Amino acid sequence: MQILDIRNLTLELETPDGFIRAVDRVNLSLREGEVRGLVGESGSGKSLIAKAIMGVLHQRWHIAADRFHWCGEDLLRLAPSRQREIISRDIAMIYQEPSRSMDPTAPVGEQLREAIPSHLLDGSWWQRGYFRRKRAAALLHKVGIRDQASVMNSYPYQLSEGVCQKIMIAMAIAKDPKLLIADEPTTALESTTQVQLYRLLASFNQLRGMSILLISHELESLARNTDTLSVLYCGQLVEAGETANLLKNPRHPYTDALIKSVPEFQPELSFKQQLYALPGSIPTLQHLPIGCRLGPRCPNARKECVKTPGFERQQNHYFSCHFPLHGKPRNE
Amino acid sequence: MSNLLQVHHISKTFYKQQGLFKKRAILALQDLSFSLAAGQTLAIVGETGSGKSTLAKILVGMEQADGGHIWLANVKLDQENRAQYRQHIRYIFQEAARSMPPNQRVSDMLHNVLRYATVLDHEQRQEKILTTLKLLGLLPDHANYYPHMFSGGQLQRVALARALILDPKVLILDEALTAIDPSLRAQIVNVLLDLQQKTQLSYILITNQLRLVRHIADHTLVLHQGVCVDYAPTPELFSAPSHDYTKRLINSLVL
Amino acid sequence: MKKLRLYYEEQNRGPLRLLWRNFMRQHSSVWALIAVTILSLLALLAPLLTPHDPYLQNANLLLVQPSWQEGGMVRYPLGTDDLGRDLLSRLMLGASYTFGLAVFAVLGALLLGLFFGAISGMSKGFKSSIFNHLLDLALTIPSLLMAIIIVAVLGPGILNTIWAIMLAVLPLFVHGVRNAIQHQLQQDYVTAYRLDGASDWQLFYSVILPNILEDIVLLCTMALSTAMLDIAALGFLGLGAQAPTAEWGAMIADALDSLYLSPWTVALPGLLLFAAVLSVNLVGDGLRKAMKKRRES
Repeated sequence: MQILDIRNLTLELETPDGFIRAVDRVNLSLREGEVRGLVGESGSGKSLIAKAIMGVLHQRWHIAADRFHWCGEDLLRLAPSRQREIISRDIAMIYQEPSRSMDPTAPVGEQLREAIPSHLLDGSWWQRGYFRRKRAAALLHKVGIRDQASVMNSYPYQLSEGVCQKIMIAMAIAKDPKLLIADEPTTALESTTQVQLYRLLASFNQLRGMSILLISHELESLARNTDTLSVLYCGQLVEAGETANLLKNPRHPYTDALIKSVPEFQPELSFKQQLYALPGSIPTLQHLPIGCRLGPRCPNARKECVKTPGFERQQNHYFSCHFPLHGKPRNE
Repeated sequence: MSNLLQVHHISKTFYKQQGLFKKRAILALQDLSFSLAAGQTLAIVGETGSGKSTLAKILVGMEQADGGHIWLANVKLDQENRAQYRQHIRYIFQEAARSMPPNQRVSDMLHNVLRYATVLDHEQRQEKILTTLKLLGLLPDHANYYPHMFSGGQLQRVALARALILDPKVLILDEALTAIDPSLRAQIVNVLLDLQQKTQLSYILITNQLRLVRHIADHTLVLHQGVCVDYAPTPELFSAPSHDYTKRLINSLVL
Repeated sequence: MKKLRLYYEEQNRGPLRLLWRNFMRQHSSVWALIAVTILSLLALLAPLLTPHDPYLQNANLLLVQPSWQEGGMVRYPLGTDDLGRDLLSRLMLGASYTFGLAVFAVLGALLLGLFFGAISGMSKGFKSSIFNHLLDLALTIPSLLMAIIIVAVLGPGILNTIWAIMLAVLPLFVHGVRNAIQHQLQQDYVTAYRLDGASDWQLFYSVILPNILEDIVLLCTMALSTAMLDIAALGFLGLGAQAPTAEWGAMIADALDSLYLSPWTVALPGLLLFAAVLSVNLVGDGLRKAMKKRRES
């Protein structure tokens, strides 16, 4: 069942020099129990999309979409209070630098207990405190933190980033959400902790049926941990589909470039050989190209690319390119 | 092949104030030794707190080691007299934008660098600046730009230009490739590999990105809490790691 | 109507021009800057611009009303005071006392503060603390009280009050300069310069000084408004400018007796003082906002 269905999402920012379209007609959909990856470099608008789903975008941004459905309800047509109610009940988000996302002046246990919603506690009102503390300890146990007592009494700055991120996940799942949005959750962590984190997310996905939207700029970490993948470039969706399919058979030149920039995905690349890199750099928000935004850098670009390409679909594999790469089977 | 850089038994202890009268000793580096040949890359891998940044600072001269020696081209380096090796070992910062003064043009900055380290006159300096910029794929016009006018990739090249303008033999990249996007990283890696091939420059790459290490590093050194737990040529390290910590790190690559 | 831009070049200017452009986008700052420029011009050229002699007393024309009221004359646009002196000329000359001398005091404090602040900022530990807090003794006594003490020692007069105000404003500069320098020393580019082999003096001259200039200008605007109010206050109390000097504070004090008869003699200098302080503060505010916007873009 589709829980998130977004069609043609456009985010525009009003500046003294006109409207800037940071996100241009992006489609995003999520089914129940699906782990979707959203990959894009800086300036691709992935964090903006996450914030738009959570409803925490600044007022300066104009949100427009053909469809913005959550479990069948159109979020854009609802009153803001009802929107907030639904989102706070069903969607949770974790951020990039966990120690900075927590209140530095309150001990972690207090923040965790605060994050547990009252309606999930059983017992009469005078027993609430006890059940709340018990549930907080259970949550910490679920995310794999052993010495719960000392962690509960510590402040965020006293704990390592890995532990902080686990606590953030505990706070996020405290309300039993249907969707967890993870915005670059492992960038600040050590590689050993990253593995633990992905395992944790995978276990929650399988045991509780919680959908996860993983946002990252590193393709290699998403390649192993997601079912489906969406690739963004400069606010445009360039390719979407099942991860395995995408990596074996990329149709868009940008996806191809991303895959080729990771030495691991190319076993035939010899030691110290030059990596494939797209020339040029990511355009700034003020200088966005018209039409397909990869145009200036794309090796295949031709005259038609000044018009934004529509979406083509091939068996659950969507791509948006006038001159897609023909299916080249690639071994992983 | 003789070794360009040799480090023998370096150690460093920091003292942290604990309470009013006591001082706690923190062992940042313990008895570290390695060597680096010309045209080769050494990767130093370790988590935060393992001492990698301390090692980088000692090598470049920002800090002084408490024990041990550093030999560069068979000359023992005197740590008090940094001027000796300032030209030969250069440093690239993690964020290029923060390592350049915001209201100085690139040409002024590079002129200053040359003025402090060499005795060239103005024309010779100008020529050297233009040659170095060209080597890194930048135009002569770029010399008149301010740092904020460059894109991310170009700024990294300017930082490389500043490091390379003194013709060093060793370049230390302290997490310089960590915070940038993959496509940009690929471009910079290509520039570095190209330079290494052309000029036999040696790199000391301090990073946690094991995939990159496997691709461009000849040797890898694994640091864990200030102690060297593994030091071997890269293919050997990845196929048969000896220490537990290294095994865990390599396993995290597969998963 | 929006300007037609064929090729959008936003970041193609140096940091100073970017700052200027951000500054000019705020309307309040632009007006304030115009006001400050007018005041500075008045302060410099007042003796040449006044329509009448500010000190010339005219017994026939005592307390003439401003020209927009019934008994007023166009020849004396703002009326005359209780000794028949033209108010407009006196106000214009007052600018050179209140504003001009405040600028002097601030510049003097700036030079001294820069000296002490630089030594304190570029050194570490004990030496740094000593130079930083050396002039904090001046903070123990409120500025007006210090002025009274100095006047008691050296005698009244506007020049002596300048010393008092300089001393009162000096710690602000020392601390401000030291903090700015310490903030700069933590930046990566300073480390880069040190690695390139810059000595302390070369570092200060090439890197630190250009980067703290904007902070120093901010400090100057803050100190300027304090200095102007102090000069006016001391003139009001009779400790600073003595009669018949056309200083705004002194003018208010003189005219206080005839407040009900001729309120304009009190209101006009007061209004001008208010406008001057407000303009300086708005310029400082605008500068701070422009710097913040430039840093964020």
